[in-house]
Order: sequence, then structure tokens, then C-alpha cells
Amino acid sequence: MEKALIAFAAALCVVAGCITGLMEGKVAITAVDNVGKNPDAADKIQSMAIIGAAISETCAIYCLLVAFLIIFILGA
Amino acid sequence: MLGLQVTTLFSILVITAVIIIFLVFVNRKLTRFDPMDEPKGIVLLMMVAVQMIDGMVRDKTNDKVAKYLTPYILSVALYIFLANIAGLFSLDTPTSNYSVTLVLAAVTCVLIEVYSAKAKGSKAYIKGWFEPFAPFVVLNIFSKLSTLLSLSLRLFGNILSGGILMSVIYQMLASVSKMIPLIGDFNILGVMVAPVLHFYFDLFSGLMQAFIFITLSISFIGKELPKEE
Repeated sequence: MEKALIAFAAALCVVAGCITGLMEGKVAITAVDNVGKNPDAADKIQSMAIIGAAISETCAIYCLLVAFLIIFILGA
Repeated sequence: MLGLQVTTLFSILVITAVIIIFLVFVNRKLTRFDPMDEPKGIVLLMMVAVQMIDGMVRDKTNDKVAKYLTPYILSVALYIFLANIAGLFSLDTPTSNYSVTLVLAAVTCVLIEVYSAKAKGSKAYIKGWFEPFAPFVVLNIFSKLSTLLSLSLRLFGNILSGGILMSVIYQMLASVSKMIPLIGDFNILGVMVAPVLHFYFDLFSGLMQAFIFITLSISFIGKELPKEE
């Protein structure tokens, strides 16, 4: 019973990742749109998009780390 | 995961030795290189790499800073990339250990503070900690700490999750291939499926994370410098 609760808690943590995935996709869509509009700025848009995606990814990674901690410390 | 094991220390030492030997080798090639010749091989590769990183640094900072920042950025990129793909050579992955990534992020954070102090002058720098008014010093300390945490945890989390996912997939494939008669003890499905996943989780993700780390380092440092016209 306790193990099942721990597994459920870890799964619940990772749910936040789906919104991060959606929004990271939005970063990519916006970058592609704007490169299509003005191809000259492609280099700048690329580096900005990578930074934006990396920063918004931090949220998902925190959730993943919390899930790992729950599994490996509570579940051990 | 958090403490340093002997295997991690060993792989850190191996990676450092590989980088030193490689750079000494490149240095000998470059000193013998005639500028009139057409560059090829390893010389051309290093020229392209240095030019790319130098362009990235110069884009975000000024020429004076770039002279000292480019060597640091290039060596960090080399180290993180080699550390991320160390799993392919049956070494421990040093970047899946939080101590290593914390040190890497701490170096960048110290550089950010040093360049910020140099650009503003020491008096204005100390005053910057108490802005907009004195009690905000707590919030300012937390905002500096969050840079450190996010830089180190991003690298650590990405590489660690890749490693854990790979080991789970290996275990799953081993238990599936046990059902095959005669050769069941040999993990044949793992040999067939894993290379593609290694390509993504080790090579692509390793290169991407090294690139993201240096891009964020450059832009955090560039943010502290005065604007040039």
C-alpha cells in the first residue's frame, strides 16, 4: 500500500511536464513562424528560442528531480 | 547520485587526462602550422570551433571581455560534452553527479559576479545588492542563488534522467528477450534497440546540454556588461 502511494506521488509530480511540453512546443512554433517572416534574423531567433526553451524546461526538470527523490529516498 | 564515488572520480580523472592530452596534441599541431598553408584535419576543426565560440561570445559581450571569456567557454563546452558522452565508453557519467554540475555552475556564477563588479565599479556593485531598498537584500541573494540552482540542476537532471531511462530500457529488453528460446540469456533485443536510444540520450542530449550551458553562461555574463553602441 505504501509503495503504491509512493509510486502515485512520483507519477503526480511528472504531470507538470505535460504543460511544459506544450509550451516548449509553442516556443518552437513561434520561432519557426518568425524565421519564415524574416529569414535574416534566423541566427538571433535561434539562440533566443534555445534559451527560452531551456529556461521553461527547468520547471519540468525540477518536477522530474522531485519524482526521483521521492522514488529513491522515500521508496528505498 | 549526490556523493562522489570512486568510479565517478576515476572517470573525471580520465576525462581530464584526455582533454589535456588532446589539447597538448592540438597545440603542437598549431605551433607547427604554417599560416600560408590551407588548414585541414584537426587544425581546421579547432579553427572552426574557436571561431564559432568566439563569434557567440563577441555577439553578447565586448571585445575586451571576449578575449578572456572565450577560452573558459570553450574548455567548459569540451568538458561537459566529453562528460556527457562518457557513458558510451563504459565510464561513469560525471555530470549525473550533482557535485560536478554544482561546481561548473558555481564557476559561471562567480564569473557573472566578477564581471558585474568590474563593469559597475565596486561601490555601485555593493549598492546593487541593496536595491531598490535595504530589505531587498534577501530577495537579491535568492535571485542569485536561483541562477546557480537552475544552471546546475538543468544539466544534472537532463543527464541523470537519460541515464536512468536507459538502464530501465535495458532491464525491460533483457526480460523480454529472456522469452526467446536458446539465446534467451543474451540480451539480443537490447543490442538491436539501444544504439538508436544511445544516439539520442547520450550524443544528441549531451551536445545540446553543453550548448545550452555555454549559451546561458554567455548571456548571463553579457547581461551584466554595459551596453555598447
